[in-house]
Amino acid sequence: MTSFRVRRPGARIDFEKPLSFSFDGQPYSGFAGDTLASALLANGVRMLARSFKYGRPRGIVGSGPEEPNALMQIETGAHTIPNLKATQVELYDGLTARRTTGYPTLEFDLKSIGGVFARFMPAGFYYKTFQNQKLWPKFEHIIRQAAGYGSAPAEPDPETYDHSHRHAQVLVVGGGASGLLAALAAGRAGLKVVLLDEQKECGGWLLSSPYSIIGGKAADAWLKIVIGELQSMPNVEVLTRTSAFALHDMNLVLAVEQLQDHLPLAERAVNRPRQRLHRIRAESVVLATGAIERPLVFGNNDVPGIMTASALTTYLNRYGVAVGKRVLLHTSNDHVYQGACDLIRAGCEVVLADARARVNPAWEKRARAAGVDLRLGYGISFARGGREVNGAQLVKLDAGQNVVTGTGPSIDCDALGSSGGLSPTVHLYCHDGGRPHWDEEKLAFVVPATGRAKSRIYCVGAVTGEFGLQQALEQTQRTIGDLLASLGKPTDTTSAVDVRTDEPQTVPPRRIFRIPDGKREGHGKKAFVDFQNDVSAADIHLAVRENYRSIEHIKRYTALGFGTDQGKLSNVNGFAIAADARGVSIPEVGTTTYRPAYSPVTFGTLAGLHADETFEPRRYSAMHACHVARGAEFEPVGQWLRPWYFPLPGEDMHAAVRRECLAARRGVGIMDASTLGKIDLRGKDVREFLGRVYANDWAKLAPGKCRYGLMLDENGMVMDDGVTACITDDHFVMTTTTGGAARVLSWLEKWHQTEWPDLDVYMTSVTDHWATAAIVGPKSREVLAKVCAGIDLSSSAFKFMDWREGTVAGIPARVFRISFSGELAFEVNVDANYGHYVWEALMDAGGEFGITPYGTETMHVLRAEKGFIIVGQDTDGSMTPLDLDMAWAVSMKKPFSFIGKRSFARSDTAGPNRKQLVGLLTEDPEIVLAEGAQIIERADTAPPVPMLGHVTSSYYSPELKRSIALAVVRDGINRRSEEGRKAGRNVLYAHAGGKAHKVRLVSPVFVDPKGERQNV
Amino acid sequence: MFVFFCPHCGENREEEEFGYGGEAFIPRPSAPETLDDDAWGDYLFMRKNPKGWHWEMWSHNTGCRKFFVVKRNTATNAIAGSWTLSDGRKAYDAEGGAT
Amino acid sequence: MSEPVMRSPLHSFGLASQARQIDDSCGVWANEIPYLGYISLRGDGRDQTFVTAASNALGVPLPLQSCTLSSSNDLKVLWLSPDEWMIVAAPGQANALRSCLQQALAGVRSQVVDNSGGYTKIFLGGSKALDVLRHVSVYDFESLQPNRVVGTTFGKSSAYVFRQGDGYRLIVRRSFADYIWRYLARAATPYGFGIANAAPG
Repeated sequence: MTSFRVRRPGARIDFEKPLSFSFDGQPYSGFAGDTLASALLANGVRMLARSFKYGRPRGIVGSGPEEPNALMQIETGAHTIPNLKATQVELYDGLTARRTTGYPTLEFDLKSIGGVFARFMPAGFYYKTFQNQKLWPKFEHIIRQAAGYGSAPAEPDPETYDHSHRHAQVLVVGGGASGLLAALAAGRAGLKVVLLDEQKECGGWLLSSPYSIIGGKAADAWLKIVIGELQSMPNVEVLTRTSAFALHDMNLVLAVEQLQDHLPLAERAVNRPRQRLHRIRAESVVLATGAIERPLVFGNNDVPGIMTASALTTYLNRYGVAVGKRVLLHTSNDHVYQGACDLIRAGCEVVLADARARVNPAWEKRARAAGVDLRLGYGISFARGGREVNGAQLVKLDAGQNVVTGTGPSIDCDALGSSGGLSPTVHLYCHDGGRPHWDEEKLAFVVPATGRAKSRIYCVGAVTGEFGLQQALEQTQRTIGDLLASLGKPTDTTSAVDVRTDEPQTVPPRRIFRIPDGKREGHGKKAFVDFQNDVSAADIHLAVRENYRSIEHIKRYTALGFGTDQGKLSNVNGFAIAADARGVSIPEVGTTTYRPAYSPVTFGTLAGLHADETFEPRRYSAMHACHVARGAEFEPVGQWLRPWYFPLPGEDMHAAVRRECLAARRGVGIMDASTLGKIDLRGKDVREFLGRVYANDWAKLAPGKCRYGLMLDENGMVMDDGVTACITDDHFVMTTTTGGAARVLSWLEKWHQTEWPDLDVYMTSVTDHWATAAIVGPKSREVLAKVCAGIDLSSSAFKFMDWREGTVAGIPARVFRISFSGELAFEVNVDANYGHYVWEALMDAGGEFGITPYGTETMHVLRAEKGFIIVGQDTDGSMTPLDLDMAWAVSMKKPFSFIGKRSFARSDTAGPNRKQLVGLLTEDPEIVLAEGAQIIERADTAPPVPMLGHVTSSYYSPELKRSIALAVVRDGINRRSEEGRKAGRNVLYAHAGGKAHKVRLVSPVFVDPKGERQNV
Repeated sequence: MFVFFCPHCGENREEEEFGYGGEAFIPRPSAPETLDDDAWGDYLFMRKNPKGWHWEMWSHNTGCRKFFVVKRNTATNAIAGSWTLSDGRKAYDAEGGAT
Repeated sequence: MSEPVMRSPLHSFGLASQARQIDDSCGVWANEIPYLGYISLRGDGRDQTFVTAASNALGVPLPLQSCTLSSSNDLKVLWLSPDEWMIVAAPGQANALRSCLQQALAGVRSQVVDNSGGYTKIFLGGSKALDVLRHVSVYDFESLQPNRVVGTTFGKSSAYVFRQGDGYRLIVRRSFADYIWRYLARAATPYGFGIANAAPG
């Protein structure tokens, strides 16, 4: 417990506001401004995780999204979130955090026993061990318990999320020094600018380096001035706590804004979303995403208390936490020197081991003057300590080759920071196909300083490899100058800012990643590359020895970079070690692919408002309230919600449907048919058009008449069906299936626009304009007669498949005498604003006849009793009209080769043994087959069993007092013909629920086979 | 997600407004019955599916409901332009009708 | 039999009884403007005969430039595509207007359809109206100019949107209106969602 709080000017901690929180049930305290990580460190909590494979003690390594170890389960119950990085969790009063690793406990982890597991778990352990699949079930339970991280919440998410679509002229990603300067320049030029930063405030590295001087001002003051000016500009929007996690084609950047996660649960506003997904389309994107320091790889480099040098500096300067009193720093570059001086100033003892024998003289002078104990030309062979670091063994390094030339001192320390150089955050640049290139001098994968001008993606600052503050700002000025010039804007808005700093000129780093320990790889202490996945340098060497060459394969074999940190610390070290092991250069190894998301995003954020009651459009008919008032049960049909059945008190579905069916067959029923698609067609060529898009003929359909049509695709398969009415010679109204309405209209438009623009036809959807009530049954005429005016309803004047215009309940109406039940039936269409009124008027009129509202279930039974198909249920895109035994709905004599006609003659379509629609009767009339039941030849189900077809529709028919079914069966029409019957080919079995039921193939028309009832 | 310029609406619009309409310029044979099964099968099923420039149709579903032509690079997703059906045909022919 | 009563697509929300004067208490205000007349008009915008006949019948010029609208005191004509317009008329006017257009366009390649039952109009205003539109649609409404109309997404549905006064008007399909209203209300919740009184046409 050697960490301590320091009060440093510029620190973002409010010592006047103490906060309490808990970790693993223990109470702790911190301050406003802390992250969970900084508060835990200030409380001396070192070990807070166990490693993935070996159960080794782990502590905090980073200070941001790169953190591999400190994965936390935040809060409990419905609010719980797994695997948040403690470095990114803002502390609030009452926060509850738990470890996500350590089984059975953090103190004692099963996997760590004597390092036994370690020896047996090299790279590819799972592949090798469980190639024998019999072993897996035995070990799965134990492995799953011991491995893995946090738990997903088990309760529904109580919070809401939304999306925001933004359009910017310039989107700046990253609010560090370069990003701020870029936004300022673009903002001053009058452009519509959005600036994103993932942290609670802009500033980036300047927040960790408050003593830097820019243009004669301390970083802190410079930030205040720049951010103040940005906030004063109406054309600039600054979004903090907003992490850009993806860059897609054409500069679409996705970013998630944390709106409430930083607040105590009790203070979160119920009317505010927890997180917001911003989908930002930008004319120009400026990536100012900075860089993340990577550690050096040495023995035992995972002991708690060892972190990146920049994290140590950040905890000190930004959060006022000195992680240790005696600090050992290890570096290959200049970036740690300022931090070393700052640690001395805070009262720490600092030993700095630089792998370089000759270092930057300016920094050397400053460091020595501050009192830093500099050890040049040394590396750390291995660290000492178990649950926290207590020292390290140094070795003398050769000045040129990365080999050990002699031993070095053993240094005691209670905190250790290392820096292997900076890795630019190139992820977004690479999401839409860009690749970074290796800069051998800067030892980093960088993006071009010019960005991708063609795509209007610009890159500024450390992401381009400009690691010095002044160089980064100057490069930003040049690049934003180019951006402004390309838009014809004056460029002096960027050059006007004084960006001179007091930093010494940087000198090149030493090319070293893995610090040698004088032993063959794998024989010394474990040196970790990827902490989250327990990938060591030796594992990468093993993968190469086992002949993995591509870095993508090495990645997958070792799990390098697979974790929630996505290799932000480990990738470059891993690539470099793989390069050395293969004896090739780093560019030859290349990088793995950078894919969205840069950091994890919650499902809630991705869903936004597409959840709960607004998950999907729910469409309602104009009569919906009538059905609700009558206690209907509803079912979704496509996007529509339709009445399913109307149970009376005490009735189950079976009883309700039976009553509804019999009412429609014997008395009168009424159904809401508003959901059918309706298309108004007008023009001289509508008849011709209909003839081309339907299989049947329309040349002679007279005004006042309706006709059923089958619509085929070009393969000759049925895609939709419906009744079309001739209003006048050049005016028709088509109906489509409920689910097919939009598809059919688009299909018709496509043919008209692409192939037949010369046809005089216009089409307009009127689906929503008309509300439709179907009055069905022998007494339907009597009901309609009570409220209908202007139409002679007599069977001689108003025949089956006629339509008439009149009024119903005083409302102008189109009445169609069509039937989907085989009964006498009328479909009443009125302006939907009157739909509710007309339904109620029909119910009133039908009262004395016992008019019975029915839903989709009864509709299905009634139509199945008549063998009427439902497209999409009895057909599946592979059924021709002939397969459906509906040759009567095809006119082969039309002069134009209608859509699908030619395909009838294709060998397969015309061939034998096609699946065809038939009726099925079970031997046992009480058995209602499952839809989807397979049709087979024999009751014997010992494999192989040839599948002859399947049941498409199956119901209990109250009219017939027995079950009925429709099925598609190979050669079904022949099987059910007289010859088939005589040959016994009509008896088959339907296999459902583990049993084979004997069935007879029959005509699909079960009720009123002569079709007399609809004509009465 | 793409941005398309709708040649009818005269504006750049987000991809969510559009629906894919398949490869452009596959004319329906004028006399299908005269084609053998292979030729008819080519019309039904064979598509260019190039890696590179592709002439395709999109439909502006939430806007003007018109099909139009886009020349898009399937490898890079670069878009060379968008045209009305008739203008697109001219641009396509001017390139020799090649992909 | 009782007198015929109309029910608008958003009837079930009981908006009229919740409506109040717009003030600063909410950032987003909305209401349904029900029972307007909607005529779908199809014809070729390059056909001078059609354009002249339609414009004369409407009393306002048919907007020929993409995504524009023209209006008179009692109707608005929205450009939807080079061969499609929507005419929004005062309540009760649709039938007369349809007859008038059909007469004027007799013999001209065209289509006139009464779609009055098929649509409704939503008033959207308040200081955060633009923010809420960003939540519900992909379109860049900040750049939407007056006298322009855009057909774009609304959640997983769609809407025609134009500016009027200091607010917006949305024209949506009847069967989607329930979804769209719920979506709008949820999106507006963070800003305070008020039902506006006497929404101006």
